[in-house]
Amino acid sequence: MSLIVSSSPHLKSKLTTPYLMRQVIVGLVPVVIASIVFFNYRAILLISICTLTCVFTEEIIFKIRKKRQSQRDFSAFLTGLLLALILPPLTSWYAAVLGSVFAIAIVKHIFGGLGSNIFNPALMARAFLMAAYPKMLTSFCKPLSYDVISQATPLALRKFNFIITPIYKLFIGNVSGSLGETSALAILIGGIYILVRKIADWRIPLSLLLTVTGISSIFYFVNPNNGSVFFHLFSGGLLLGAFFMATDPVTTPVTKIGRYIFGIGCGILIMVIRYFSGLPEGVMYAILFMNMCTPLINRYTSPLPFGVNRR
Amino acid sequence: MVKVEEYKLPQHNISSEKFFQPTRLYLPLAQHTGKPSQPLVRKGDYVEEAQLIASQDGLISTCLHSPSKGRVVDIDEFNHPVLKRAKAIIIECDNQPKNYSLRKDIDSLSKLELLDIIKKSGIVGMGGAAFPTYVKLLPPKSIDTLIINGCECEPYLASDYRLMVEKLEGIFKGIEIIYKILEPKTIFFCIEDNKPEAIKKLNLLINTKKFKLPFISLRVLKTFYPQGGEKQLIYSVTKRRVPSSKLPFDVGCLVHNVATCFAIYEAVYWDKPLIERLVSFVGDALVSPKNLWIKIGTSLKELKEKGIINFKFEPKKIICGGPMMGIALESLDYPVLKGSGGFLFLSKEVDLKEELPCIRCARCVDACPMGLLPLEYAKRVKAGDYDKLQEFNIKDCIECGCCAYICPSNIPLVHYIKIGKRYVTNS
Ligand code: SF4
Ligand code: SF4
Repeated sequence: MSLIVSSSPHLKSKLTTPYLMRQVIVGLVPVVIASIVFFNYRAILLISICTLTCVFTEEIIFKIRKKRQSQRDFSAFLTGLLLALILPPLTSWYAAVLGSVFAIAIVKHIFGGLGSNIFNPALMARAFLMAAYPKMLTSFCKPLSYDVISQATPLALRKFNFIITPIYKLFIGNVSGSLGETSALAILIGGIYILVRKIADWRIPLSLLLTVTGISSIFYFVNPNNGSVFFHLFSGGLLLGAFFMATDPVTTPVTKIGRYIFGIGCGILIMVIRYFSGLPEGVMYAILFMNMCTPLINRYTSPLPFGVNRR
Repeated sequence: MVKVEEYKLPQHNISSEKFFQPTRLYLPLAQHTGKPSQPLVRKGDYVEEAQLIASQDGLISTCLHSPSKGRVVDIDEFNHPVLKRAKAIIIECDNQPKNYSLRKDIDSLSKLELLDIIKKSGIVGMGGAAFPTYVKLLPPKSIDTLIINGCECEPYLASDYRLMVEKLEGIFKGIEIIYKILEPKTIFFCIEDNKPEAIKKLNLLINTKKFKLPFISLRVLKTFYPQGGEKQLIYSVTKRRVPSSKLPFDVGCLVHNVATCFAIYEAVYWDKPLIERLVSFVGDALVSPKNLWIKIGTSLKELKEKGIINFKFEPKKIICGGPMMGIALESLDYPVLKGSGGFLFLSKEVDLKEELPCIRCARCVDACPMGLLPLEYAKRVKAGDYDKLQEFNIKDCIECGCCAYICPSNIPLVHYIKIGKRYVTNS
């Protein structure tokens, strides 16, 4: 009889990291469907390019780093999917490929791979593409159309043309914008799914959304041209960011208090950028900035051991 | 804290059985926390059942009695679940059980006399830590709350549960004795809500008011792991937090396990030292789970050879204790100790999964009952960065296993914590 002698515990929950990643992907299914409805073949094309490039890049890096990991964790696929969903529908294939390689090779693996990166790879790749192709990344087209009819996003319309898009359009998603960011309905379905299934922690999305609600209601009260609460909640990348980017465990705090701080910080930054900067939208920069603050937040909110009093 | 997936527990419904007379007993001198006892017998000596064979050595220590009539064949090193190898008295048994008779003058015994009986009976905490009981009964500060631990939060094990169902009166007589010694203001009998049969009996018994326990009340606690951990239990019941590196008496509490109470009863009423205990034998490798009264020192090998435990599948892992904190054994050549509540025989549940990178999901942080950051320990130990471990309070870790249980990346956190602790204590 040969016996295994290993450290306790000898029991393990069924939860696994690949399962968590797959569940986030399941949560994104409604968003993917909405993007295909509104942007048809362009959505299919971009999603395929980004996911395939990400997975392929990661395989090559595993080969180079001689990392033996028999199990695939689906995190590269998820990164690709998220990247595609935050790109404008008219992004060209080479920019998508470049962004995907950048996300996996530079943002993720230069820092040591899954779990070690500081920044959210998809958001960082988008920021990189913003710098590399500023024109391409800020041109949006009309949804539900095979022709390229350029149209500004609701947030840009508010900022530069003082036009407020009707809420129901934002809710359904029949507006211009990045592939997966337009339909609030689809994101809410998927987002609530991952929260209810306890795949992602609810603290960050909740505190982020409440902060945005609070700030935008004050500004709306002062001047209705600032846009209503629902306008701010449903437009731009806010919901997708709150539910799927700000909940990325790797780049967000591990303490409970830290998660509230992270969410509130994101919310404040987003609204500051939307109201007071030259940019119409700030979700990406806000989350990336808070990613950078995460080690600091962790340090200052590290929990006290049981039975120790704060002095 | 984690909710361990509820296993169907047929062992909870299996009545305890008396085990036959073993032929050979291996009695390690270190049965308890503290200094091992000193042997009083020599090779070749003939001993009676319940005869003192090793004496207490030092303040935190206790004595040992022969569980059976027989001859001392050797005093030599033998396998020990915790210490790996340790000196043990080995006895070849005669098949002649002893009859114990009821003590007549129980009510007239004074506090000191009671303490003395407990001390001379070699009783230790039977929930696992095996701390000498009489030391606990002489706290340096006064105790206002006595907590009786019937939680048995480790999944699979059922020995405490069966004891509560079958021997509740004995347990209560034991509590009466503790009450007489300590005179606490309140007594809480704690049990988890997944043990309905025992709860029913407890309610009935408390309502009869048969016992001289004026301030006892039943506390039915939620089932989660580690509800039975001393500090967690005290917090659940009294909302008092035992400070880091302090003991329960520092907050006026004392916790005793139900099996310990029963041992106290047997010692005082029947003059029977701790030589036998109820042990659960469970796990999917067994034909059927069993709860058996086993003489201390009986080896698993003999139980197997005599057909007392039968394997359906070849076990891949044998665990002394419960699945969350138990120790994996290297073979069947291990004895039952005073603190062994159960043995686990696993065939297929053993599955050393591939360790994936930590995704910093913080599930371990949320699960840790001690408020620690387990992921940091794994990270630091792997990087060889031992100096930071102190800063993250690694010594407060009770090795309960919640973090490693929940980790989706299969990181053996407790394994790394043990390595880290060893380093911290050595430096
Ligand atoms: S539970 Fe595991 S994967 Fe999650 S933070 Fe803790 S160690 Fe990392
Ligand atoms: S760090 Fe220690 S106390 Fe905390 S869950 Fe892990 S084993 Fe238990």
